[in-house]
Amino acid sequence: MQIDENSAEPLYHQIETQLRSLIISGVIAEGTLLPSIREFAGDLKCSVITVRRVYQDLENEGLLRTRQGTGTFVSNVGEGARENYKRDAVTKALETAVDVAHSVQCTREELVELFKEIVERKYKGQE
Amino acid sequence: MAQLAIELRNVSKKRRNKTIGPLNLGLPKGHIIALVGQNGSGKSTLLQMLLQLTHPEEGEILWFDKAHSEGIPIEVRQTMAYVPENSLTEENHWSAEEAAAFRSLWYPQWDQPYFQELMHTFEVPRNIKLGKMSKGERRKFEIAATLAAKPQLLLLDEPSSGLDPFAWKAMIEALRKYMDQHDATILISTHIVDEVRRLADYIVLMHKGQLLGMADKDSLFGAWSEVWVNVADQEELAELATELPGTLNHTMDGKGVASFVTGQFEQIEKRLHHMGVKVVKSRVLELDEILGLWTQGYRPILVDDKKGD
Repeated sequence: MQIDENSAEPLYHQIETQLRSLIISGVIAEGTLLPSIREFAGDLKCSVITVRRVYQDLENEGLLRTRQGTGTFVSNVGEGARENYKRDAVTKALETAVDVAHSVQCTREELVELFKEIVERKYKGQE
Repeated sequence: MAQLAIELRNVSKKRRNKTIGPLNLGLPKGHIIALVGQNGSGKSTLLQMLLQLTHPEEGEILWFDKAHSEGIPIEVRQTMAYVPENSLTEENHWSAEEAAAFRSLWYPQWDQPYFQELMHTFEVPRNIKLGKMSKGERRKFEIAATLAAKPQLLLLDEPSSGLDPFAWKAMIEALRKYMDQHDATILISTHIVDEVRRLADYIVLMHKGQLLGMADKDSLFGAWSEVWVNVADQEELAELATELPGTLNHTMDGKGVASFVTGQFEQIEKRLHHMGVKVVKSRVLELDEILGLWTQGYRPILVDDKKGD
């Protein structure tokens, strides 16, 4: 996890966003035991209040579950949720790109052309 | 709000040349609270009052929801442990083992294997009298003996003073681990910013005998930023300052660049963008700078503010 101390974004938000994406993208597998609240707070140099809040939020979203006395585990995210998350993340990024294009008066044709070029370049070699 | 380990209600105490208080404070159970403030701000007096080593003239102190005006009963004392600013001379003629044996009589929860483990981790020398130890070595014994008593409330008065960096890290780890395994509360007075960063959940600031309040540590970090902008000269900076309410410490920082401090970076950044002023760079203030602003009256959001929501 990367905490940017120079960011105006609140600490709890930074941690929550990153942990959520690690869980949904499957980087942290289902059933993984997360560090205790105090341990995690120590690693991130933040307070237990912040970590408790993050665990609570993600538990409410169904991404984590706490077993009394044992700790906090990653829940089953499900294929549907993972697909939705992927779709949402990419849609959001593309929307930002289109907004930028708009603000510099890029035409629809130019934009589509550019998009194809980029996809071509980035996906080459991978297939 | 969580249960309180300690509560102070309008507590005040006269000292030779100043009055401490009135102090109002609640220490939430299960947390680490850093007590910060300059020398002579009253931190040690506060800790001593929590042990009834000294008594307030006015107000009331509650330990786990009970006032003990007739003296803290032994069964409550047995759940409290203290690392004083200066170690007790009474134990000077004892070795660490002898002092531990004596303390174990007072603390029914005393954990001897844990004590040995901590002594080993901290590398405290054996078979020499406590009075012959260096300040750091004695400190390490005190911390080990405090944890081995398995207290629910730890009052630590600058526990890390005299510790080398290795011992300091070991202490931080030991305190953290203890908190992970026990639902204890730690009040720790310290001057070391990194100690606050690594350990604390809440920060309590004392200044000239007054409590300036308790803040959630993470809400303090990132609360203030220093911003550098392009401006031509002093005159233009003065003009800009009037357009940016709530900003402080406007100074020219070399040719064509000025800096100032703000508690609302996002809003100010938008405003600057709107005005066509270029932000060169920005950084968030360090804890010591934030505490400095706090003592000057620029207080952060306090825990008590949130209660009213």
